[in-house]
Amino acid sequence: MSKIEIKEASDVILEVGRILLASGSTTNRVETMMLKVANCFGYPKTHAFVTPTGIFLTVADGKSEHRTQIYRVESRQMNLGKITAVSSLVNAMEKAHCDTSQGKMSIAKLKEELYRVDHTRNWPTWVQIFAGGATSGFFCLLYGGSWLEFAVAYAVGVLVSLSVYLLGKLRLTLYLANLVGAMLIVLFTKMFDVWVPYIKIDNIIIGGIMLLVPGLAMVNAIRDTMSGDLVSGMAKAVEAIFNAVAIATGTGVMFKIWTLLGGA
Amino acid sequence: MNHPFNYLTLMQFCWSCCSIIGFSIRMNLRGIKVFFIALGAGLNWGTYLVILHYSKSLLLSVFLSTLLVCIYCEIVARMVHTPVSVFVTCVIIPLVPGSSLFYAMRSFLEGDRVQASHHIAYVFLIGVTIAMAIAVVSSFTLLGKRIARSAAATGDQFDVADLMDKDNEK
Repeated sequence: MSKIEIKEASDVILEVGRILLASGSTTNRVETMMLKVANCFGYPKTHAFVTPTGIFLTVADGKSEHRTQIYRVESRQMNLGKITAVSSLVNAMEKAHCDTSQGKMSIAKLKEELYRVDHTRNWPTWVQIFAGGATSGFFCLLYGGSWLEFAVAYAVGVLVSLSVYLLGKLRLTLYLANLVGAMLIVLFTKMFDVWVPYIKIDNIIIGGIMLLVPGLAMVNAIRDTMSGDLVSGMAKAVEAIFNAVAIATGTGVMFKIWTLLGGA
Repeated sequence: MNHPFNYLTLMQFCWSCCSIIGFSIRMNLRGIKVFFIALGAGLNWGTYLVILHYSKSLLLSVFLSTLLVCIYCEIVARMVHTPVSVFVTCVIIPLVPGSSLFYAMRSFLEGDRVQASHHIAYVFLIGVTIAMAIAVVSSFTLLGKRIARSAAATGDQFDVADLMDKDNEK
């Protein structure tokens, strides 16, 4: 088996890391996956250091060649589907390699699969937006809402998911997106409150807030800290706290504005 | 009714499942794992309610139900070939204190500082309790993995000194 060129190999390894990190994976997983791919390509002395905003990678075969690359990840969007797809791809590749001791999955195939994972969506956008409505509505029921409130919460959830999706196109920072998202939740709920009688707005707003809570950042912070990546653990914990503050601020600001405009 | 195993708990279980189905579709997941994630989330909220009924202690029930559901995740995620963190992320969402966050902000706007700080304290306590439960389970899993790797490397016998050597090499 002819050895894979170091340039090509390191580009593909970096692509694996980039997709995982941009979808919000824990940095420990990104490092493990990159090292697995490097091992399959015949570069066992590879080292990777990943922070939540960038990747440092040195690909080396332990004899003569080595190549170092740095990659800055600008935008991160939660996408658990991509994390699952890339992880199972890399694991399948490792298994095939171990079985035959010949790289069964060629580098071209891997590139193609990575491109496919990166550019296909599991669900169309409108399904995701309506699923956001379902999340919001059922959380409203969970916290003791009535069926009328469920309907309103569903509508609010759909509207907020749609607006967050549109805001995502503007490439706002996560902090600002959460702030505006929380403001819109209160605004839409208050507007429905004017037109629909006999609803309590508390449960509806809580249902909407559950769409935005920083669950992923919290889980990543803990799992990173426990696996010894202190830098990314701290960074993720701060991200979680800031997002919670952003949500609280957004809610409060919109309540105040509504009162100042003369609403009840 | 003096026991928590009634239709109200079952309904809460269902709402929790349904909302997490929506959440995981929004996170771009697909396939059988959505079902298992929803089941885990329902289990999480259900055990929380049952333990809350018997122990009357909020933080204990949050801790125990998260602990239970994290163990569930570690087992089931391996069965359906999904990263464990994907499972845990979706499953803990019902317990995340979004409601306390909202009540704190509303009390603050109403000028009730005492209630506001009461709710803020709950946000921090519940958040930290969930974090601790996840930390306990994930660090025990890491320890188990390391022992398994060490045992595989040295054959049948293994001792702690050997484990430490392995760690230093790495």
